[in-house]
Amino acid sequence: MITYVSVGLLALLSLSIPVGIVLFLLGFGIDAFFSPFPLMRGLGQMVWSSSNSATLIAIPFFVLLGEILVRSGVAGRTYAALDRWVSWLPGGLIHANIATATMFSATSGSSVATAATVATVAMPQAEKLGYDPKLFSGAIAAGGTLGIMIPPSINLIVYGFLTQTSIPRLFLAGLIPGVALALAFVLATVLICMVRPSLGGERRVFPLAQMIAALRDLLPIIVLFTIIIGTIYKGWATPTEAAAVGVAGAFGIAAFFRGVSFSMIAESLLGTIKITSMIMLVVIGASFLNFTLSSAGLGRELQSFLTGLGLSPFSFILVIVAIYIVLGFFIETLSLMVVTIPIIVPLVVAQGYDPIWFGILMIVLIEMALITPPVGLNLYVVQGARKSGTLSDVMLGAVPYVIVMLLMVAALIAFPQIALFLPSFV
Amino acid sequence: MAQDTLTLLRRLNRGVAILIGIILLACVMFILADIALRQVGASFGGTDEISGYVMAIAAAWGMSFTLLELGHVRIDLLRSRSAARGRVLFDLFSMLVLTITISIIAFRCWPVLEKSIANSSTANTVLETPLWMVQLPWFLGWTWFALVSWVTLLAAMMLFVQGRFAETESAIGAFAEQDAVL
Repeated sequence: MITYVSVGLLALLSLSIPVGIVLFLLGFGIDAFFSPFPLMRGLGQMVWSSSNSATLIAIPFFVLLGEILVRSGVAGRTYAALDRWVSWLPGGLIHANIATATMFSATSGSSVATAATVATVAMPQAEKLGYDPKLFSGAIAAGGTLGIMIPPSINLIVYGFLTQTSIPRLFLAGLIPGVALALAFVLATVLICMVRPSLGGERRVFPLAQMIAALRDLLPIIVLFTIIIGTIYKGWATPTEAAAVGVAGAFGIAAFFRGVSFSMIAESLLGTIKITSMIMLVVIGASFLNFTLSSAGLGRELQSFLTGLGLSPFSFILVIVAIYIVLGFFIETLSLMVVTIPIIVPLVVAQGYDPIWFGILMIVLIEMALITPPVGLNLYVVQGARKSGTLSDVMLGAVPYVIVMLLMVAALIAFPQIALFLPSFV
Repeated sequence: MAQDTLTLLRRLNRGVAILIGIILLACVMFILADIALRQVGASFGGTDEISGYVMAIAAAWGMSFTLLELGHVRIDLLRSRSAARGRVLFDLFSMLVLTITISIIAFRCWPVLEKSIANSSTANTVLETPLWMVQLPWFLGWTWFALVSWVTLLAAMMLFVQGRFAETESAIGAFAEQDAVL
């Protein structure tokens, strides 16, 4: 059964059938070939019960929040403000790229949107100030990936939903690794630009008064983030309620900067529906596949598979990491996550690993998939925004950040507390 | 004719999507009102239940909008390496598979609604929502998705037969990478 699912998955995906549909087809196949009972009768009920979810409605809310902030022009202001705060570092504006991406990911939970936004506002600056286009664009692509790690993260909601893990605890677990990754990106940039100052462009120091004035553009977003995360952690609100508050807050911020208009609202709603349905088709498909796999006795088969492998838990996790790195070359974030969860997470948990910890490890690996060629969505997004040069420039520029991510993977395996420290308090 | 049909479908689904968006916004306000009420010790009760229904219905009805916006994720590693005619064949095949799968899903969703009507089932909650009231729009959403898929598939096939590959691709091709999110 494991072989059937893995081979079938790769074959159907390579035919470029939509990922959500592939998951349903595999479920149909399990029913036809492996299950003693007719599982198809449960299809309708699965589609109903997996989409009738007060947890998942947090997804459209968080997407809408990000759409509002991006479409009302708040991103441009954030970038300009962060420029004043961080451009004194070696590497200058590159840090503003990373910092803006971090802040946006902290509120919107979407990686590619973050990369697209930052790329659009940042690229014109890079040419003006003489930055190395490789490192500059690589930093945007890498910074954008932080969106799926730093809470609120849509990917973590999906992971929590499919593995029945606590979403607040996952959010909490993602905070330290996410921020650490952002800081590591900054550190890597500083080191690179100290060794090769020519890559870093012009460093600019702004007077303190200007820095303080810029706070006006930063504070609203920081406050919004604190409210969303604070209320979830304090247990005052569920992630869904916090997301609803976030939507209201985003409207408030957009109104404060005079960015609200009918067309902005309509475009934000359309964008939200498009992304939400895309995610939901995959999530419902994965729920159905999960259901067929467990009904057909995947649990027993996994046990014997593991015993047959005869690997220690440590070498097993290394194999899993290698699998994700290889798959990550070809399959993108959410799809990669959703198609592997039904098989890989039960295996990992059976080896005695914490599902919360593994969720975070998986997110780092999936972030890496976003910036590793040949299929790395953020690379294309950044290249699309810069309108000159070649894609391989962006790929080369992203290499240092891929190395940082690999170090993060090693750190998470060596010190699981990086992820598990904060959730241990709730 | 094929092109007109597609334009009409797009316009219809845009309208549907805006409508669902407004329902989502209403749901946001409902949740906010409930949070506010809680501060004074009251509550509507059942916001969780209602947001669940909204999600099921919104997801079902949004599917066809996403389909026409080429938003459902596909891995186009092999597809993108083919020539125009080959790409269109990939697209038609995957559209056919999608259409059949969605039709099976819509077909299998009917018994869920049928049973709720036959047993006059109510939700096992304080609200005791009659389930058919929320399952009917949910079922219609999936049926609409199946219907839109069939029409889109036929229109795309017609374009393909007429040799209009570029138009076929813009109707059912893979998503533009820059537009994708996540």
